Amino acid sequence: MLNYIVRRILYSVPVLVLASFVVFVAVRLTFDPTVKFRQLKDQGAFLRAKKTYGLDKPIPVQWWKWAKGVLSGDWGVSTRTGGRVWEMVTKALGYTVQLIVWGVLLALVIAVAIGVFSALRQYSVPDYLFTGLSYIGIAMPPFWFGLILIQVFGVFIKEKFHLDSPFLSFIGLHGTNKKGINLDYLRHLVLPVFTLTVQLIAQWSRFQRSSMLDVISSDFIRTARAKGVPRRQVVFKHAFRNALIPLVTDVATQSGLLFGGLVITESLFSIPGMGRLFLDALQAGDVYVVVAYMIVAGLFVVVFNLLADVAYAWLDPRVRLS
Amino acid sequence: MMRTTRGARAAVLLLGVSLAAAACGSSAKKTTTTTAGATVTTVASGGTATTAGGSPAATTAPATTAAPVAPKGTVTIGAEQEPDCADFIGSCGGSSWGFWMMGAPVLPRSFDVVKDGENWVPKASLVLSEEPKLDTSGAKPVVAYKISPKAVWSTGDPITSTDFKYTWDQIKNGKDIYDTTGYADIEGVDDSKADTAVVTFSKPFAGWKQLFGGQYGILPAKILTGKDRNAELKDGFSFSGGPWKIDKWEKGVSVTLVPNDKYFGEKPKLEKIVFKFVPDSAAEFQAFKAGEVDGIYPQPQIAVVDAISAGLSADTKSEINAKTTGGAEALWINMSKAPFDVLEVRQAFAYALDRDAIVNRLFGPLGVKTALQSLNPALVSKYAGTDFAVYKKDLAKVTELMTKAGYAKGGDGIWAKGGTKAQFAVRTTAGNKRRELTQEVMIQQFKDAGFLMTADNLKAGDLFGKAGPSGDFQVALYAQVATFPDPGLCPVMCSKNIPDDAGKGGTNWTRTKIPAADPLLEQVDSELDDAKRVTASKAADKLLAENVASLPLDPLPTILLWNTKKVTGVADNPVLGPFFTSNQWTLAK
Repeated sequence: MLNYIVRRILYSVPVLVLASFVVFVAVRLTFDPTVKFRQLKDQGAFLRAKKTYGLDKPIPVQWWKWAKGVLSGDWGVSTRTGGRVWEMVTKALGYTVQLIVWGVLLALVIAVAIGVFSALRQYSVPDYLFTGLSYIGIAMPPFWFGLILIQVFGVFIKEKFHLDSPFLSFIGLHGTNKKGINLDYLRHLVLPVFTLTVQLIAQWSRFQRSSMLDVISSDFIRTARAKGVPRRQVVFKHAFRNALIPLVTDVATQSGLLFGGLVITESLFSIPGMGRLFLDALQAGDVYVVVAYMIVAGLFVVVFNLLADVAYAWLDPRVRLS
Repeated sequence: MMRTTRGARAAVLLLGVSLAAAACGSSAKKTTTTTAGATVTTVASGGTATTAGGSPAATTAPATTAAPVAPKGTVTIGAEQEPDCADFIGSCGGSSWGFWMMGAPVLPRSFDVVKDGENWVPKASLVLSEEPKLDTSGAKPVVAYKISPKAVWSTGDPITSTDFKYTWDQIKNGKDIYDTTGYADIEGVDDSKADTAVVTFSKPFAGWKQLFGGQYGILPAKILTGKDRNAELKDGFSFSGGPWKIDKWEKGVSVTLVPNDKYFGEKPKLEKIVFKFVPDSAAEFQAFKAGEVDGIYPQPQIAVVDAISAGLSADTKSEINAKTTGGAEALWINMSKAPFDVLEVRQAFAYALDRDAIVNRLFGPLGVKTALQSLNPALVSKYAGTDFAVYKKDLAKVTELMTKAGYAKGGDGIWAKGGTKAQFAVRTTAGNKRRELTQEVMIQQFKDAGFLMTADNLKAGDLFGKAGPSGDFQVALYAQVATFPDPGLCPVMCSKNIPDDAGKGGTNWTRTKIPAADPLLEQVDSELDDAKRVTASKAADKLLAENVASLPLDPLPTILLWNTKKVTGVADNPVLGPFFTSNQWTLAK
């Protein structure tokens, strides 16, 4: 197992290196980090900026210099803010992790519950209801859904019931003068997490339903029932664990992707996470931040894919990683 | 099973009650004060202050006796943009939100800008013990700034002439400076007497009152000398010479100001002002409606105008200013690009548009219905003519001018000359809904007049960083924003300021070359006699209009909204921003 993990990590290194080069070249060719300096009336400013940030060299040379810096722990300096790139990325990551951890946990619990319930009550009214809702959820654009949530839980309830502040907050993760994990944090977390999870719940519940249906119609379940094993034990001990296997892969893959894909949610809810960092950096042509973002996001995809494989082996003893 | 369900229900109920309780009790005790309807103060272009939905409101700072006040508290403001750094004389110069939040209420300056009747005028700040005068009796103009003995930094050190000298030296000789206008004309600053900064100019500079003020202020020599200024100011700064100081700048989240205990003027009455960054404009307005923030200063975008015209809550007060705004949105015409290298075509272009209809479509609900008639912003209307007013939609004039220029209409109704159609692209900042709507309206109006207009938009950085300086546009739609009530179109209209490929700098991106206007525009920058300056400025305006150097469109209104149940004493300042007088803000009871 350990050999497998190490080998997978090693395989991912050239992929990340190649990806960093491609992204670096693409960003440098399409965006100009010195635009801000061109707007200064000091005509030499942008030339000095190019030199300061090493942008006066050929692009492959720039990338090589950056790559050498990364190997020694120096991720460079943002051309937009002058801040250390690694500090910016890790800080943004902290915000995104909060959304993802809560979002994935919530989505997983709800989706699995709905999926199992729908499978066990196939073609019942609740099953049709959940099926319909899941299609709506899959089709729901997060930006629009987020705005609706803000309008309802942020504005409407406050105005309707003459509250002093919104029922659920939607600016950042804490209110003014507040910090820590408390009720204020919870009030800020609900809407962005719900915006993030609605599509996940919809997709994963469909996945879990079909997987559960496959398992409960298999021979070993029929045998267990014929032997008189109680229904709850059949469902939760035998069927449920097996039905989780396909979902695990999907959850892990999508969770990895989420680390780089919350641009809309973070912008809408004013959360300075990875998505917003990426957007701001891209608009400013801040190549070192964009590439660092890409590396970190890519790393999470690799790690979560690996976790999926490991979890797969753990859930299904027939699978041996080698 | 039943017990589990009940437990779950109880937990959900508890959670809901907790959230509701938190929503009810998160702010001060509910007030029983009866509030009037939402008051909208509109200072429309060319009009007078009017109110809607409530009692008449003053256009200057509201009297602080209007409502009972509490001595402490926090006010939260929604900030649309976050500056990249706080070096406002350098690479972060021009960051409006940066200056409004961390410059105007924090940095000391030589002159404030205050309202005097209908105009905004410079007035010596509390840093100075007397109003300085420009002495022109000697060989060179000299200004002696006498510094008040009460004026101190937040560190307790006095503000001295050395601070003036340091600030000048950084701007004139420093690297990556945003704009050296005026400071480059200073020959030297004598700081031999700590309480008097004697500034000697190498040549007359009419706008001298904006020096050591405007968006730059005065920087502390004792703290910054020998250091990399840009690096020191990267994440904000701890010093202050204003009523507030920066307590915390949490990147991406907020900037917090707290009172400067050593401030030598009227001390703030609030404990804190927190500026929360809300980059999404849709969420910004909702945040204000929901009470997440107590005030916003949004850009005059279509969604904001629509939201205001749809009605604001009774607790909301707004101040909308188009009469003295520093913004002038115009169609900037590149005179070196065909077909605009021909005067008649430029004039026909101006006669093809119904500018009032465009302005009315954009800002009509705010009471702003007429086009700007000068390239000077409304803030300096004293120096502006109204010569562009002749350009009203007149298709007969278009035909006459285009025919005179050798054009004839083709079968498609578009003017053409020698097989080349009268077509052009208008470039503006991509994603700006208001400007995109302006383009849509213009496309139809130009089509009716026989012009083929297209929209070719760019990211703001590319438009202002590349296309503008290199003249890579035919017509560009954007605003020039005055940062002081002082006229000055020479930087953007004098032929000496046309940039070239050889590296000569300049901000005359439109490549305007009107030889008769050059000396007048230069006189506006250097003339010390205000009456002569007004005459020169209006004469220049007349020439710019006759030649259609560009075409003014709208006085970009400023919009300030705040919650009267939370804060009182709020007033906008078109130059120093809405937070300049925040030391007078008080919590509403």
